[in-house]
Amino acid sequence: MSRAASDLVSTDAILVSAIRSGDQTAMAEIYDRYSNLVYSVALRILGDTGAAEDILQDVFMQLWRNPHAFDASRGSLPAWLAVISRNRAIDFFRKRRPETEMEEIVVSVEPDMVRGAEWSLLLGKIRGVLAGMPESQRLALEMSFFEGLTHGEIAQKTGEPLGTIKTRIRAGLIALRKACTR
Amino acid sequence: MNVHEQFADDLALLALGTLEGAERAPVEAHLRECAACRGELERLRGDAALLVFSASGARPPARSRQRLLAAVAREAHRAPAPPVRKWAWWSALQWAAAAAVLAMFFLLVRQNDRLKRRVNQLATSSASEPQLIQARQLITALSASDADHFVLVSRKTSPQPQGRAIYLARSGTLVFLASNMPALPPEKIYELWLIPVSGAPIPAGLFRPDAEGTGSVVQPTLPVGVEAKTFAITVEPKKGSPAPTSQPIMLGTRG
Repeated sequence: MSRAASDLVSTDAILVSAIRSGDQTAMAEIYDRYSNLVYSVALRILGDTGAAEDILQDVFMQLWRNPHAFDASRGSLPAWLAVISRNRAIDFFRKRRPETEMEEIVVSVEPDMVRGAEWSLLLGKIRGVLAGMPESQRLALEMSFFEGLTHGEIAQKTGEPLGTIKTRIRAGLIALRKACTR
Repeated sequence: MNVHEQFADDLALLALGTLEGAERAPVEAHLRECAACRGELERLRGDAALLVFSASGARPPARSRQRLLAAVAREAHRAPAPPVRKWAWWSALQWAAAAAVLAMFFLLVRQNDRLKRRVNQLATSSASEPQLIQARQLITALSASDADHFVLVSRKTSPQPQGRAIYLARSGTLVFLASNMPALPPEKIYELWLIPVSGAPIPAGLFRPDAEGTGSVVQPTLPVGVEAKTFAITVEPKKGSPAPTSQPIMLGTRG
């Protein structure tokens, strides 16, 4: 069976449902599907393989302990896991206690947006938009998202006015939206 | 500048989780009153989530998988014993199969009782002749020795979702019961298909599982005398489709 077909058969929602009933093989399948993404996000933020590995463990153990936190109708599982990884990594980076409970995270990426052949297309669009942005805008967006810096902290680092930073960040997000919904 | 524009940039920062201090409170106060801005905040969160995909490419060490699965197994042993672990002397497969049979048995008994009550009610009331015939056909199909039985299970994961189709070709009567079906978003529905020995799949009813994952299709409109190769289930738009628009998520085998 092709990967695309097996994805259809064994959807993320079915796997999460199996995890809810204590199915360890379903947990292994989810790990195999999304551990690269979760790990990559943590590594990008922390720049430390050991710490990224700890975040990876933490994110998947949270899913195992509380699979009900994932609501398939509100977004895709990989996006949800990756955003949790991002939040946990930033908390770790800034030595904060976790501020966001898993249940509170809403990621409204279309549920099927990151499957099969559409995955590489989506990735290409995202990377294309980021590469096409003025460097100052891309940096502001990445500092905010991957480092969790406030606009005040970014302004301090770059010497740009506060209002300019805010506007660049919003415009960057809107540019991503436009590219990915085309 | 209208009130929404005033908060537009701050909404983006809030979506990223980086709006702090005195600037956060007025935005949150506005969000409590403004559905449009709440919607925009959700969209911006989705936009921000796209950024996570730009970070993909690294691969965790193999030991991470072993570490995670070992931790999962340890926690599974510590957890309060759910039914599957309470009967540890059975293998998981045996338990799953037995549980599925038991669940189906109770579903069938419940359905049978319901149908018998319905027949009795109709017999003693002023029900129309077609209704009586329909109910009797159902009872006949459920108990007929020459009725075909199909068991539908997930094609990949452990057999959580399961369906049982009882089909009597000579009268075109079908009873289908499903258990452990995952919930669907509101815009989707499960559609059952009769796959004939030759020809295109025939729509055999729509169902949406209840909170316990149980669903049924009872006596849909089907042509009489069509020999079934098997049955299948697809996920379709909520009004159903005349022909499957996606790959089957479950396929039948003769039981």
